[in-house]
Amino acid sequence: MIEFEKVFFSYGDHHVLRDVSFSMRADERLAILGGSGEGKTTILKLILGLVDADSGRIIIEGDDITDKTEDQLREVRMKFSIVFQEGALFDSLNVKENVAFCLREYSKLSEEEIDRKVREILKVVDVEPAIDLMTDELSGGMHRRVAIARSLAAYEPKVFLYDEPTTGLDPINADNICRLIVDLCKDGKGLITVTHKVSDAMKMAERFMFLKDGMILFDGNKEKLLQSTNDEIQRFISE
Amino acid sequence: MNLKELISNLQDFYILCIRGLTGIVRRPVYVKDLIEQMDYTGAGSFMIILPVSIFIGMALSLQLSAELSVLGLKMYTGKIVGVSIIREIGPVLVALVFAGRVGSGMASELGSMILGHQVDSLRVFGVDPMKKLVTPRIWSSILMLPMLTLIGDALALLGGYYIAVFVSHQSGTFYWSSVRDAITFENVIAGAAKPFIFGYLIACISCYMGLSTRGGSKGLRQSTTRAVVLSIVMIIISDFLLTRILLYALGFSV
Repeated sequence: MIEFEKVFFSYGDHHVLRDVSFSMRADERLAILGGSGEGKTTILKLILGLVDADSGRIIIEGDDITDKTEDQLREVRMKFSIVFQEGALFDSLNVKENVAFCLREYSKLSEEEIDRKVREILKVVDVEPAIDLMTDELSGGMHRRVAIARSLAAYEPKVFLYDEPTTGLDPINADNICRLIVDLCKDGKGLITVTHKVSDAMKMAERFMFLKDGMILFDGNKEKLLQSTNDEIQRFISE
Repeated sequence: MNLKELISNLQDFYILCIRGLTGIVRRPVYVKDLIEQMDYTGAGSFMIILPVSIFIGMALSLQLSAELSVLGLKMYTGKIVGVSIIREIGPVLVALVFAGRVGSGMASELGSMILGHQVDSLRVFGVDPMKKLVTPRIWSSILMLPMLTLIGDALALLGGYYIAVFVSHQSGTFYWSSVRDAITFENVIAGAAKPFIFGYLIACISCYMGLSTRGGSKGLRQSTTRAVVLSIVMIIISDFLLTRILLYALGFSV
């Protein structure tokens, strides 16, 4: 489903990713671990074509997306659903309008049908009572749930992408969000979650990648990660 | 910033100016966003334009009355106030106020959308940020700034009238008749053409600065400041160039 071949990426003189290569199936649950500024979020942005790689190839379902135009990328992006860090909800819209955004943009549903669908989706993520609230009135956990709801309303994604989905949440809320994320993948959908919280990553993923200095230092399952003798990885896990 | 970056930035700015303007003729057209922006840029700016225009008209009339009375030419106050306001001070003053209020608002709003990944969200959802965010802002500025200028001119002339009649003790009828002399086709065109260009410039600069925001709250502060400062500088420079072109085109001899 997703293939990175010798991908390099930099912001000006700062090299973010160096020679990154990996591939994943559409039904895999992958967690990308690493400290701040190691290029975890950049990988998600590269998958969606939001930023351009300096060199290398990014192949989505056999299709190289590195040279695609914004219009051509639209089709690629419809295979994914992303929840950015902090949710990235439209702060000038309320919860209902946020979730209904894509439905209004692309579907020809009537307002009643949109309302019904939005309520259905909000029920799945358990925030239906917040339907009329503005985004700044939501708690951190509700904010993430609404962001997940909005991503569900967009279209039928094959892989979910999450950027630090539990950052800033208390342990109970973080645990609830992890469960929700895993539940949404039950029917064979994949996920890539980017996080620096190892405990949350363990709850969500079955495969783990560890980034250090823009390179993949580790790629494997939970057991191998825990048994890794690499000092950096051990220090990261113990913290 | 090196030369390569400068050229790249200018290229991006040029693309934004063109695509933002032509976005109105490509579907989907975001009519609701356009109306919202027109309300923000137009109706929202009125209460600032109101006192600024009245007081600048009063100050101008006061200065001219004082100077012209020494020469015994007080009766020309209305005409000079009229020409100054309609051709020069009105369009420039309203554009400067507009740049301060609307330009900073656009840059900070788009900047915070960039930092909060809201623009990325739009792109992921297949929405063209240029059409959704930039086009309504550019067209609302192009449409509303001339209207605000018209209102500002009228208010400034009213302020001038108050000083001429109640402070300088001139005839109100004579003031308005000399103002009417200043409202010629050439003068009106010379003043009315400018706000369209100023509105376009302010919106393009502010949207570009907002969308190129990087580096958190400090970056947001910098892009907002840059948007306002660059808009003001460009208004003054383009005013001179437009004045030169319009005077030539309308057949005024210098």
